[in-house]
Amino acid sequence: MPVRVVESSTPSQESGQDSHPGRPRPPFCSLLSPGRAFSGTQNVSSLQKDEAWKVNVRIQGVDLDHGYLCGTMEALNVPLADTPVVTFWEGELVDGSNYTFFTGKWEATPEDDIRHWSKFPSFAPLSSQVKSDGGKNMDLSNYPYIFMRWKEQYFVNVGIDCGLTIAGFYYVCFSFSDGSINGFYYDPNSSPFQKLELKCIPGGVAGYTFSSHQLL
Amino acid sequence: MPSSVVRTRPEDLAARLGVGGAAEQGDALLRVVREVKNQIIGNKTKKLRYLHLGAVPKIVSVLAAASQGGAGHGDAAVIVQAAAAIGSFACGVEDGVRAVLDSGALPHLTSILSHPEEKVVDAGARSLKMIFQSKLAPKYDVLQEKNLKFIFSLLDSDNENVTELAACIIAHSCERSEEQKALCDAGVLQKLVSLLGGSSNQKDACLNSIEAVVKYNPEVSSKFACIDYGKALKALTNLILDRRHPHTRFLACKCLIAVGQASPCHVEELQIKSKLVLVLVELLEEPGRVGDEVPFSLKTLIEDNEELHKQALSVNAVEKLCSFLHMSSINERRLQGLLIALAELSSKLEECRCQLISPQVLSLIIDALKHDRTDVRVAACYCIRNITRSLKNISAGCLSSEAVIVQFVQLLDDPSKLVQIAALSALCNIVVNGATRKSVLIRSEGVSRLVQLSKSMDSALRYVSVQVLRNLLFLADITDKECILKELTLSTLASLVYDSDCSIQEQALALLNNLMDGCDSIKHLFAEDNMILDAIMRQLKNSSSVGVCIQGMFVLCNIAARSELEKDSVMNFLVPSHEDSCNRSLAIKFLQSKENSLRVACLWCLVNLTNPNSGGLSRRVTRLRDAGIIFQLKSMLNDPCLDCKLRVRMILEQCTEFETTQG
Repeated sequence: MPVRVVESSTPSQESGQDSHPGRPRPPFCSLLSPGRAFSGTQNVSSLQKDEAWKVNVRIQGVDLDHGYLCGTMEALNVPLADTPVVTFWEGELVDGSNYTFFTGKWEATPEDDIRHWSKFPSFAPLSSQVKSDGGKNMDLSNYPYIFMRWKEQYFVNVGIDCGLTIAGFYYVCFSFSDGSINGFYYDPNSSPFQKLELKCIPGGVAGYTFSSHQLL
Repeated sequence: MPSSVVRTRPEDLAARLGVGGAAEQGDALLRVVREVKNQIIGNKTKKLRYLHLGAVPKIVSVLAAASQGGAGHGDAAVIVQAAAAIGSFACGVEDGVRAVLDSGALPHLTSILSHPEEKVVDAGARSLKMIFQSKLAPKYDVLQEKNLKFIFSLLDSDNENVTELAACIIAHSCERSEEQKALCDAGVLQKLVSLLGGSSNQKDACLNSIEAVVKYNPEVSSKFACIDYGKALKALTNLILDRRHPHTRFLACKCLIAVGQASPCHVEELQIKSKLVLVLVELLEEPGRVGDEVPFSLKTLIEDNEELHKQALSVNAVEKLCSFLHMSSINERRLQGLLIALAELSSKLEECRCQLISPQVLSLIIDALKHDRTDVRVAACYCIRNITRSLKNISAGCLSSEAVIVQFVQLLDDPSKLVQIAALSALCNIVVNGATRKSVLIRSEGVSRLVQLSKSMDSALRYVSVQVLRNLLFLADITDKECILKELTLSTLASLVYDSDCSIQEQALALLNNLMDGCDSIKHLFAEDNMILDAIMRQLKNSSSVGVCIQGMFVLCNIAARSELEKDSVMNFLVPSHEDSCNRSLAIKFLQSKENSLRVACLWCLVNLTNPNSGGLSRRVTRLRDAGIIFQLKSMLNDPCLDCKLRVRMILEQCTEFETTQG
């Protein structure tokens, strides 16, 4: 979700990618599949005022082999914006093979990483190992939470001169059991620890529905 | 001193050729044959003219007479000129090859290979090489010992023209694996490798020959790689580095690729393959045939290998390929090759796809969709298909213009089935996201064409067109869904669910899933006497395809996410009452499947059936218990699949919550 521009920032080009094919990967989760929608809020409060924007997220694609997922994020009550603002984001799944807990780019140091991941209670059992090597050799294939980084790539329905920035990225934790998503927005130039809270939308009047696409 | 005037009109010369009648003799005949030869070399029009005048059989007669007439100097000169003329007729003109073969030239040319004079042997070998470069030339049956001996005798010759001829005959004749094996067992590969040290022409002929003998043959390729402890491979690796001879480099690359394909363990080191990528990317800049053929070899080399794709990207392969696309005078073969190589490179790597979405490059690829050549249209479609594998590109509106979609819709009527399938594949990706795209396709009559193709007799066309319809319905709004369904009709949909091909049944069920998700389209399931619902249920009962069962169960899951009526319909099917015992085990059967996805689909269905917000929960929980499903679920509490384990807990919690409330 975009935030107000405070100051321009240039993301570092360093990559946190660490490719070790054949290593365990996060299991497929039917609640984190293309088409699945999530709804909730992002707290954008600052010292001056309390503020939360309503947020909708839709997963568009998942590629577990490459630790990749993508989707759209819609911010609904953005002040001064005429319409909901939609962005397209790409995600890195922390799987110990394609990506580790250390971001290695986007101006995030390992300390920033640990500080943000530690905000998730489900991170606690992994903390000590991650501090040593970023979770490089960690087998998360049976862990009931999926850790991700979501980075907004572009605005879908407004121009880049809309007065909003997508320079930062989200540390995200997805719960396998109920599909809830928690996240923290990180941008050195924005308010720290903006919390994203999303719940999985079942889709049916009394149950979960599923749809799917297949790229050729 | 006055001399006779040589009349040079083809008609006159043709009349003076041959044996007997008006034919010349001795030196005069030699002059006539030489004159004909000089006129036709490099001149297709003249070749055709002489063909029309029946010159070829006459020259073959001259050759026959001269080669039987002894070994005198005069005869030798005539033989040389006649053989050269025959070779020239066979070069570059199919009718010429036919005429040469029909005139029985082969045995005469072959016989002069044992002539004592070197220049005669040279002429015969050159002429035969030209003939054997044509597809029309007869194959040598290398399984016959005498033929194999003959080829070996040629390979053993000190004359490079003769050894080249032998290599040409092998390359031309060796097609089947038993032929490859026979040549390999006879030691042909060792001989060819030993000849790689010869002239450039000899090297090229031997490389062509080696490729023919090892191609697609793991056993022979492996033997080749082991010759002299890898000396043969080493020789090829050295040749690919020799910048002075681009054609030889290219042929050596082709040999290494062939060995690598047939016997991966011998060319498995990334180092060799990386070198090959580097050399082929360098060779892209070569003019003529080498440059035309290089993209095809590059595609073959890197096919389905992400590491090699990265390697190619790192040496700017995409920029180079694109730079040739921009050239105005690009021939069809090269254009096809460039598109094929770009399609391969964009099949896996997002970085490559991003390089191709610049408007300049994209417009050239889109232009190629209208090319006269079928191969080029197919390649352009696959290039776009692979670019649109990027959801980032699709969501950004890449290739979303009405003009592009309309162009693809037009290609659905292409006379070539290959183009139709390729265009459908690209559309399949393009329509995934974006309401605009879906609407354009509906407006441009694309949906009605897709529906027609989904009824095609050809299963490949049916399969891809149903897949496009499935993606078109993914997250479509209710208006678009209704519009598509109206065109598709329930009876077509039912027939697709019953299709003879399992993969089409699976796509049809996935299509239904997208149709039912999140809107009122569910009513169609129950229309026309439950036609669609019956089809789904029948397939679930009878199909042995896991894919069909998974998609079928997700349809039931979407139905069970609705109200009481729908939940009960699903319940009655999955967990029938005691009286209807034949279906009793369906839910249990799926829950006990080894396939994680099938268990997950079945569990989601049960999650919806035990949804705490539904009125008939009590009835359903009791029925699940009575049918042994709760017992089965309890046994799955530690399912090895995490998704299954958590859904089982979800269902059991929902049932427990209900019982606690009731209690």
